[in-house]
Formats: sequence, structure tokens, C-alpha cells
Amino acid sequence: MDENPGLSEQYRMASPWPLFVALGLPIAEIGILFDIPALSIGGLILFCGSVAGMVQEAGYARTPWRALAACAVLLFALGGLFFYADAQFGAEGIRFVARGWAIVVAGGVLLFGSVVGSLLVDEPEPV
Amino acid sequence: MELNGQLALTVLMGLFLVAVAAWLARVENWRSYTPLGSGGGGYGQESGYVSQEKPSGFIRWLTTVDHKDIGMLYGAFGVTAFLVGGAMVMLMRAELTVPEMTLISNQFYNSLMTSHGITMLFLFGTPIIAAFSNYFIPLVIGADDMAFPRINAIAFWLLPPAALLIWAGFFPVPDVIPAQTSWTMYTPLSAGVGQGNQANAGVDLMLLGLHLSGISATMGAINFIVTIFTERAEEVTWANLDIFSWTILTQSGLILFSFPLLGSALLMLLADRNLGTTFFAVDGGGPMLWQHLFWFFGHPEVYILVLPPMGLVSYILPRFSGRRLFGFKFVVYSTLAIGVLSFGVWAHHMFATGMDPRLRASFMAVSMAIAIPSAVKTFNWITTMWNGSIRLTAPMLFCIGFVSNFIVGGVTGVFLASIPVDLVLHDTYYVVGHFHYIVMGAIAFAGFAGLYYWYPIYTGRMYQRSLAKWHFWLWMIGSNVTFFAMILLGYGGMPRRYATYLPQFTDLHQVASIGAFIMTLGALIFLWNFVVSWYEGPVVRDGDPWDLKEDSLYTTEWEWFDRKLKTAVADGGEALPGGEESDAAEN
Ligand code: HEM
Ligand SMILES: [Cu+2]
Repeated sequence: MDENPGLSEQYRMASPWPLFVALGLPIAEIGILFDIPALSIGGLILFCGSVAGMVQEAGYARTPWRALAACAVLLFALGGLFFYADAQFGAEGIRFVARGWAIVVAGGVLLFGSVVGSLLVDEPEPV
Repeated sequence: MELNGQLALTVLMGLFLVAVAAWLARVENWRSYTPLGSGGGGYGQESGYVSQEKPSGFIRWLTTVDHKDIGMLYGAFGVTAFLVGGAMVMLMRAELTVPEMTLISNQFYNSLMTSHGITMLFLFGTPIIAAFSNYFIPLVIGADDMAFPRINAIAFWLLPPAALLIWAGFFPVPDVIPAQTSWTMYTPLSAGVGQGNQANAGVDLMLLGLHLSGISATMGAINFIVTIFTERAEEVTWANLDIFSWTILTQSGLILFSFPLLGSALLMLLADRNLGTTFFAVDGGGPMLWQHLFWFFGHPEVYILVLPPMGLVSYILPRFSGRRLFGFKFVVYSTLAIGVLSFGVWAHHMFATGMDPRLRASFMAVSMAIAIPSAVKTFNWITTMWNGSIRLTAPMLFCIGFVSNFIVGGVTGVFLASIPVDLVLHDTYYVVGHFHYIVMGAIAFAGFAGLYYWYPIYTGRMYQRSLAKWHFWLWMIGSNVTFFAMILLGYGGMPRRYATYLPQFTDLHQVASIGAFIMTLGALIFLWNFVVSWYEGPVVRDGDPWDLKEDSLYTTEWEWFDRKLKTAVADGGEALPGGEESDAAEN
């Protein structure tokens, strides 16, 4: 926390992240349930991004990049589960594959962000 | 058209994410460049305290992780949900003044009934309890804050989206209708199969909203368990932990074991509805599976809702009886006993389903047993008041009303727990009367006892006492008129959950509606008093507005309040003219 002044650095009792964690989750849930890729992907990015930001702010990690990568891995696994369900049951009219792709794409975006972030953004200097 | 919609949505989502990112970047800016103490500038300049700890104005409420602020947010949310749920039921009571369908359609009645139940239990009951626990538990156990302040904020912020989803069917969205499943969401109706209209997306949205509120409750519960275990001040031991914290701890344990189960059951139901699974289908797991899963959650849920209000009453009632709580230890033990037993009684909601009579008898036995710890508490409250020097302030009146109504609710519950009685009364208004005596007569009364008791702490002002007493008496009379009429209706055989009824029930239904209108009047008086006193009530300058020191019943949260009053004066405390700023700053 010290190395990276956050909102909660100056304002000890405030953090911008919880609101967006709580907003990302329902958006992602609606998107996945109703098979609306825009909401699935956007919601997952918002949710995971905010979680990563919060992990950093709370001092559990120095940068958010690894947390983003971890989220991406979890999303790949979840997407894989949807592909598996489709292969196993292949119920007609249910678009498991499309839902799975949306999740995987969200994971891909996060992974991309993680890689770009760790390569291009300077590490905050330790104080 | 389909593709265009998707495209538009994608663009919108993208814009939204960019906006969020931009906003977050601005947040970075202030934190890096705003000199300390100038608090973001602009309109919301508040006292130095706030601007050093939190940004000012509206942003403060969006970003706060302070347990007191979050308690206030929960409180505002809970009271709002209470008004919404109350408005819904008043439409229903208006419809029920005549036997035929007149004012609203049967479908709309069913939608309102479903929403009323879910709103009151999940959007009013749980949040209003969280309002008190968030604000006061850290203060009374001497913690700086909750163990996980950010998780605390997430738990709150999940609730507004949950409410929007639960009410989504009422908004003018094309092709989305409100759920009509009732709060118990029994399959097969809620699975959307058959000829009905419950395959509609409105039901899915409601289920999602409920799921979110469950996540919120679970996060809150984990937070309270950790806080009470690890954040207590040194002088607060298990032996002298206050009764309210005990009930919140027990409640959190119950939440931890029951809400995740509800969440899983809801996901199974959603999968049945949307992904072709057969958990609750007749050829699959069977519709009865839902009832077991639901009530394994549902019965603990009623104790999740009632234990903390019992804690509030055990906390507040002695302070106006001039003595300590009688048999403190036994009140704690009975809380724990109820917590354990509440997981062993769920099938008393299913006596009429044709289950194995031997199983049924054992559930009857446990259900009767759970009445014992409830009675222990009741006797302890009565003995606390016995020969005490009772002061009938508004919070005390609400506590006494709680005890009185809880007795009627509890005794009718014991009758229902008896199989032969239940087979007659199941699914009649008797059941509705039973649980409303508890959820409205007891739980809501305790909530309002808390709102009045701590009013000076969270507003810095005092409410108008005579109006508060009007509120109490209108509610005490109104709730007994309404819910006793329901008990009589049940004896007469009036089935629950109908928008229309046979003419012989007209009189009692009209009586019930009159009671409900009396309560509405009380609620309006409350609202007026609550809001107006917040702005214009007499400022409290005494850290002991209830004269608790005289009987040495003073507690830590008032000490904290007293300290705050004194430091505010030392700061110069520029008596802010309007008053509302000082309310905001007070947190
Ligand atoms: C003294 C302990 C209690 C006993 C023995 C008891 C017993 C029962 C029984 C047997 C039923 C099922 C009636 C039926 O549907 O045929 C019932 C329903 C209900 N009880 Fe209680 N009860 C007790 C306390 C409570 C408390 C403390 C609450 C609330 C906080 C509560 C809330 C409810 C609710 C909401 C229902 C109706 C559920 C529904 O079908 O919608 N009960 N109770
Ligand atoms: Cu029960």
C-alpha cells in the first residue's frame, strides 16, 4: 500500500473499487444467463478488473497484473466447463458454446491487459 | 435488428467501461494531487475530519468503506425497501376490501404478493439488521472498523442491483413481466414449465437478484464472524461480549450455512429454466427436491431475521427498565440453541406434502423443542421489566410491543408445529397471521426501536417524542387488528395467496385492511418525524441523552458519541447553519 498511494492512501476510509466489483457481478451474470456476449464480457472485465485493483489497493500485491492473470486463468477454466457441458450434453437450442466463448474472450482481454500492463507500465517505486 | 441490438449493446458496454476507467483515473488524480484538507473542493465542503479520511460530497458515499457510513447506507436502503414493500401490500389490501376482482388484476395481485414478500425479507429485513450491526458492532466491541472494510462495501453495493433485478418485472421493459411465484418459488410453477407465463425473463431476473442478495448476506456474515472473533478490544472478552454481538454472531453462522445453499438451489432452478437441466423436473430430481432445499434455507432464514432483533430488544429493553438483562447467560445459550435447532425443523413447512409420518413426527418434536429457547428469552424480558423502574420512551414501547407480538406469533407457531393442527390450517390465513405477528409485529418493531434509540447518535438530534408515540400506538393497534383478523380468517378456512374470496370472508378482510391503513398512517408519521427531526430536531449536546448513567447502564457506543461531541466542540465545531452538513460530518 505504501509504495502506491491509492485513494485509500489519502482518504483512509474510502475506496473506489467495491462499487464496481458489485456492479460487474450482476452484469456478468445477466450476460451469461441470457447469452448476451456484450454484457458477459463487459461485466467480467469490470468485475475482475476491480478485484485486481482492490487487491493492489489493499496491499496484497504491488501491482494488479498478476491478479488479472489469475482471473484470466479462472475464466478460461469456466469457459472450458461450458465447452465440456456442450460436448457432453449438447442439448438442442442451448448455446453453451457461445456462452463459453464469451467467457474465454473476457479472460483473453484480461490476460492481454495483464501482459501489456506488466511490460509497459513502470513498476511503482518502492518508497 | 437482432444484430443491431447486439452491436448497440456492445458499443454501450464499451463506452461504459471507458467511462468507469476515466472516472477511476480521476480518482487517482485527486488522491495524488489534492492537498490534504481541501477535500476535493466544490460544493460538499465538510468538516476537516471527513475530508482527511474520505472525499466529500456524493463521491464520499459511493466510495466509503467506513463501517458507520455503510451502516447508514444499509439503513437508507432498508427503510426505502420497507416503503416500497409497504406500498405494494397496501395495493393488495385495497383490492381485498371486496371479494371480487376490482382494482387490480389477479395476475398483478400475485406479482405484488411475490414482490412484497421478497422485498420485505431480503431487501428490508436483512439490510435493516445490517444497518445496526455495521454501525454499532465495531463501536461496542471496540474495533477500529470491520475486519474487511472493502468486502463490507461490496456487500452493500450488491444490494441496489439486486433490488433492481427483483423489481425488474414492474418496470416498463417490453416482454418482461413480474414473477408470480410467491417468495417460496415452488417448482414446477417457478421452473416455468406448463401453460403458465412464468417462463418469462422477469422470473429469471428476480432469481438473479435474489442470488445477488444472498451473496451480499454471505459476505456480510463472514465479515461479522471474523470481526467479532479477531477485532475485539482487549477488555471485551467472550464473558462480557454484549448480547447484540452474540445474536449477530449466531445469525452470521446461520447465514453461512444456509444462504450458500439457497444460492446453489437458485442456480439449479435457473439452469432448469434456461439450460435444459432437470434438477426439479418430474422425470429428474422431482419438484419436492425444491421444497426441501428451499426450506432447509427458509427456516433458518426466519431465525436469521429474528435473532438480531431479539438481540436489539435484549440490549435496549433493560436500559429503560433500570436494570441489567435478567439471566444474560441463558439469553445467550438460548440464542445458540435456536441457532442449532433451526436447521432441524424445515419439514414443518411440508407436513401436508404426504411425507413419511415417522419423519413428520420427528420434525414436529424438534419444532416444538425450538419453542423452549424462544420462551426462555420471553420470560427473561418479562423478568427484566418486572418491578423495574420502567420509562416508556418510544424505543421502550417498541420493545414491549415486540415482546407482546412475539408471544402471539410464537404461540401460533407452536400450534402450527403440531401436525394435526397444521393439516387443517396449512395454507390458510392463519399461517399468514402467524408469521406477520413475528416479521412485522416483532422484527420490524425491534428495527424501529433501534432507529429511535440510536437516533441521537446517527443524526446528532432528537426526534419528536409525541409523534414517535403516535407511531407506536398506531402500529401496535394496527398490527394486532390486521394480523388477528388474519388468524380468525384462517380458522374460517380462508386460503392464503388469493386475490378474490368467498363473500363470507368479507368482514374480516375489511377489518384486516382497516388495520393496514392504520399502520400506513403510523408509517407516514414516522417518515415525517424521521426526516424533519433530522433537519430541525433539537441538537443533542449530552453524550447520555437517555440518562443511562444514573442506573449505570451506560454503554460504549454512547461513550464514543460523547467523545465525538466533545472533540467537535474542541475543534471549534463551526455550528453549521442548515444542520444537514453536521449530520453528514458526524459520521
Ligand atoms: C416458536 C417458534 C416457531 C414455530 C414452532 C413455528 C412454526 C411454524 C410452522 C409449523 C409453519 C408452517 C405453517 C404452514 O405452512 O402450514 C410456520 C410458518 C412460517 N413461520 Fe413460523 N414458527 C416459529 C417461529 C417463527 C419465527 C420466529 C418466524 C420469523 C422470523 C417465523 C416465520 C414463519 C414464516 C415466514 C412462515 C410461513 C412460510 C410460508 O409458507 O410462506 N416463524 N411456522
Ligand atoms: Cu419454519
